[in-house]
Amino acid sequence: MRFIVCVKQVPESNDLKIDPNANRVLKKGVSTIINFFDQFVLEEASKIRKEGDEIIAISMGDSETKSTLMRCLALGADKAILLNDEKFLESDTFGTSNILAAALKKIGDYDIIFCGNSSLDTGSGQVGPEIAERLDLPQVTYTESIENVEIGKIKIKVQTDEGYSIIESELPLVIAGIPPSYYQPSIPPLPKIIAAQKKPFEVWNAEDIKGDKSKFGSAGSLIKIIKLYKPPKREQGIVITDEPKAAIEKLMELLNKDKVI
Amino acid sequence: MADNKDIWVFIEFKKNSIRGVSFEIIGKAKELAKKSNEKVCVVLLGSNVSKFCEDFSYHGIDRIYLCEDSILGEYLTETFSSILINLIKEYIPSILLFPATKLGRDLAPRIAAALETGLTADCIELDIQDGNLVQTRTVYGGNYLADIICPKNRPQMATVRPNVMERSEALEKNQPEIINVPIDIDPNQLKTKVTEKIETTVIDIKPIDEADVIVSGGRGIGSKENFKIIDELAGVLNAAVGASRAAVDAGWISKSCQVGQSGTVVCPNIYIACGISGTTQHLVGMKSSKKIIAINKDPNAPIFDVCDYGIVGDYKVIVPLLTEALKEKLSQD
Amino acid sequence: MIEFTEEQKLIKQSVSEFAQRKIAPIALEMEKNKEIPQDVIKGMAELGLLACTADPAYGGSGLNAVTAGVIAEELAKGDCTGSTCVFYLVQAAWGFLLNKYGTEEAKKEIFPKATAGDWFLGIATTESGGGTDVVGGKTNIKKDGDFFIVNGEKMYISGVREAATNGGGHITIAHQTPELGSRGMTVFYLPLTAEGITPTYIEDLGREGISCGGFSIDNVKIPKHYILGEENKGFYIIHEGYEYARALIAVICAAAGLKSLENGMNYAKERKVFGQPLAKFQEINFRLAEHYTKLEMLKRLGYEALRAIDLEQEGKGNRFETSKIVAMAKMFASDWACEAINDALQWQGAFGYSRECPDQAAWRAVRSFSLAEGTREVMKMIVARELLGKELISYK
Repeated sequence: MRFIVCVKQVPESNDLKIDPNANRVLKKGVSTIINFFDQFVLEEASKIRKEGDEIIAISMGDSETKSTLMRCLALGADKAILLNDEKFLESDTFGTSNILAAALKKIGDYDIIFCGNSSLDTGSGQVGPEIAERLDLPQVTYTESIENVEIGKIKIKVQTDEGYSIIESELPLVIAGIPPSYYQPSIPPLPKIIAAQKKPFEVWNAEDIKGDKSKFGSAGSLIKIIKLYKPPKREQGIVITDEPKAAIEKLMELLNKDKVI
Repeated sequence: MADNKDIWVFIEFKKNSIRGVSFEIIGKAKELAKKSNEKVCVVLLGSNVSKFCEDFSYHGIDRIYLCEDSILGEYLTETFSSILINLIKEYIPSILLFPATKLGRDLAPRIAAALETGLTADCIELDIQDGNLVQTRTVYGGNYLADIICPKNRPQMATVRPNVMERSEALEKNQPEIINVPIDIDPNQLKTKVTEKIETTVIDIKPIDEADVIVSGGRGIGSKENFKIIDELAGVLNAAVGASRAAVDAGWISKSCQVGQSGTVVCPNIYIACGISGTTQHLVGMKSSKKIIAINKDPNAPIFDVCDYGIVGDYKVIVPLLTEALKEKLSQD
Repeated sequence: MIEFTEEQKLIKQSVSEFAQRKIAPIALEMEKNKEIPQDVIKGMAELGLLACTADPAYGGSGLNAVTAGVIAEELAKGDCTGSTCVFYLVQAAWGFLLNKYGTEEAKKEIFPKATAGDWFLGIATTESGGGTDVVGGKTNIKKDGDFFIVNGEKMYISGVREAATNGGGHITIAHQTPELGSRGMTVFYLPLTAEGITPTYIEDLGREGISCGGFSIDNVKIPKHYILGEENKGFYIIHEGYEYARALIAVICAAAGLKSLENGMNYAKERKVFGQPLAKFQEINFRLAEHYTKLEMLKRLGYEALRAIDLEQEGKGNRFETSKIVAMAKMFASDWACEAINDALQWQGAFGYSRECPDQAAWRAVRSFSLAEGTREVMKMIVARELLGKELISYK
C-alpha cells in the first residue's frame, strides 16, 4: 500500500511580528518546526506500514520546508516531495488544497492520504476535507488511531464529543488525525537522520503537477485578510497574596464590585 | 453572485436535542439579516428532527429546510455533505454558518471545496460591510485577530465558535415556511459507516465547550480524589469541570474535559483555574474567557499573567473557602 | 559562522528536543542524586549520542567534530548541571581517539557497549603529581609477552564510578620508556573492572551527576590490543584527544553561558525595580551586550576549532594550526562563561543564589573547564609557542 502524508511547517513560536503593509505576519528568519499534528499522522502511518508499503511525505513551501521533509524521512517516510513554485505563494486553504490535490493526482496511486487535523499556526483544519472533496474520496477527521487496515478497508477510532466512535471506510480515503493526550512525539535518532540524507527527495513545480494554475497561490485565493491586529489587551489582573480568609474576602468584594457573580 | 440571498444556519443536534450553539448562531444571523435585509433560514438534518421545527418558530426564522430520513440518524460526512451541496445549489444562499464543533469543522470545508467558495473557521465575530461578510477569527495561537472576507465567491461560509455570540432570545411565535427536502441516498453506495460508539463521558458531566462557567484543575490538584474539591466548587456555580493536559494525562479526569490547544478551546463567561500553572498550550485554550480567576501557590505561574483575579495560595485551602463564600452569596441573591 | 548542513540541523533539533524534554526538567535532581538516571543514558544511546564519533561499523554514528559540537551545544542548553555534557563530551572526544588509533579488536569490544550506554568510556591522564603536564605522571606500563602490566595511580577523573560499576574503562597514558620522557609514553585503554584497580571518590564542586574520583593501578594486566597507536608515541596521540575535548568544551561553555544569560535577561525584562524593568538599567544592559558578544565570539571560535579538527582528518589541515586554534577557543571559555553566569545570578537577586536556580549549577559546572582537559595557562603556552616558536618559550 502507499500512504501519503501531507505536512506543514509552522513557526516554532506563535509570537510573530506583523508586516503592517500587507496584513500578514513576517515569516522570514522565523525558526520553524513540523506541525505537531502532522508528525502524529506520520507516526501513525509508520505504525501501520507493512513490508513493501511506501510512505511519501509531501509539503508545499520553500527551501526552509526542506528541513521539515527531511525530518519526515528520518521519522519513517521513504520519499519526500517538496512543492515549490512562486505561483504557490500566498495560497489560502483553497489554493493549498488545489495544489496538493494536483500533486496527489500526479502521484496517482495511493491508499491513504494523511493530514493533521489542523495546524498550530492558522489552524483552520480545512485542507484535509478539501483534498478529499477534490479527489472524491471519503474523509475521516479527528482520527486518534487506526485500529485495522487491510486491502480496500480500514477501521478508524475517532474522537467525538461523547467519547469515541469506530468508523469503517473503504480505501482510498483521506484521514485527518489528532493525537491522543498521551502522545509524545518521537525524536528522530541520529542513524535515521543520517540515513534520511540518502532517501529520494523530489522538488515539483507548478508545471510538474499540472492542474489549473488560476487556482494556485494568491491568484486563486478566495479569502482575503482585510485586517490583522493584536487582540485588545487584557487589563492587568489583580493578584491577591493575603492569607486565605482575607484573600477570599477581597476576591468576593471584587467579584461583587465588577458584577462577575 | 447577485442571485445569492439569505443566511442559512446549520443546526447541530446532540443526544436528541438542539445544541446550544445553534441558537447563538441564529442570534448573530438575525443581526446580520437585519443589516443586509435578508431572511434567516435554518437547515435541519437528521432522522427524527421534524419535531424540532416547533423550537424554531419562536426565533423569527423565515424558513426551515427539513432534511429528514432514517439514514441521517448517524452523522456521516458523505451523506450530510451530498444533501447540503445539492440543497445549496438549488436555493443559493448568500451566507452559510456552521458551528465550529467537531461535526461542523468536518462538514463545512468539504462543502466549501465542492462549491468552490471560501470558508473561515472558528469565527468569534461576524459583521456585514460593503455587502461582504466580515469574519473575525484568532490566528497564531491567539496572538492575533484576523478580519477576513470572501470577496469573489458565494455563498460566504464560516464556522462559529460556541459560546462567543449572544443566544437568540425567544420571541413571539411565527410560522416559518417549512421546505421538506427529498432525501435520496442509497445506503449501499456509502463508503463509510459508524460501527461502534464508545461513550467515555458520563452523561451528567457538563460539556466544557458550551459551559458558561468552567472550573478547571491542573497538575497541582495531585490526585483523582482531590478533583472532588473542584467538583464541589463547580456544583455551586452550576459549572462544567475542565482540566489541563497534565491532569488528563495523569488519568484524574476524562479527556473530554481537557482545555487547551490539543483539547477544547473554550471561552466561558468565567474560567476558574485551580492548580494550573498555565502552559502556552493551556493558555491558548482559555485566554479568551471573559473573566479568569486563578488560584495557584506559585506566584510566578504564567496563569497569573492572563487572569483578572488571582489568589496566591494552596488550592486545597482556597477553593473550599471560595466554595463556601459563593454558596452564601448565591443563596442571598 | 559555520553554515550547518541539513543533517546537522536535524541532529540539532533532535538533541534539543531530547535535552529540553528529558534532561532539563530533572537536571537539578540529577545533582542531588549524584547520578544521571538510566533512562536518560539509554535515551542518549537510542538517539545515537554516546561515542557518536565511532564508525557505524562499531555501533557509532561516525560523526565529525562539528556535528559532535552541535550535540554538545544542545546538551549544554538543556542540562544546567553540565553532567550529561561531560558524560557526552568525554566519550565523543576519546571515542574519536579510540576510533582513530585503536585496534579492530578493541573497537569491536568497546564501542558496541559504549554506544549502547552500558559501558562508560573515559579519559584518565591526570595524577596527583601531573595534570595537563602529562609527562609529570608516574604511572608506568611494561611489556610482558602478549600483555602489558600497568602500575601507578590516576586522580580527578570523571566517570570512575560509572566505569567501575557498570563496566567500561578509561583511555590512559603511562611511561613505557621513562628515560625518553615525552617520547617514551604509551596510550592504552584501561578497563576499570580489571583486577588491581581500586577506585576512590572525590566530591566535586559541580556537574555532580557524573562521578569524580581516582584509582590505584596495581599490577593490572591488559592485552596488547588495548594499546592505541604505536608504543612510545602516546604523547602525540593523547593530544589529539585533548584537543577534540577542548574544542567541544569551548562550545559547551559558550552555550551554557548564553543559556544563563537568556535566563537572566528574561528575569531582568520582567522584574521591576524603582518602577522600571531591571533590564532598563545601563549597568545591566551594557553587561548583557558585552557578555553576549563575548560568548557568541567564543561559540564561533569553538566551531572553527572543531572544523580545523575535521579538516585535519580530511588531510587538509595542519597539526599545529589545529592545536593553536583549539587553545585559542578554550583559553577564555570557562572564564567568560563564568563571568556571564555570575552576572546572570546577580540580576536574579536572592533567587540566583538559591539551589533552585539552574544558573548556579551552570556556574559550578562551567568553572571546572578552566582546569579540565588542559588549564587556561597551558592554552596560553600553546598559542605563544605557535606564535613565537619553540626557541622562545620557557618549557619543552
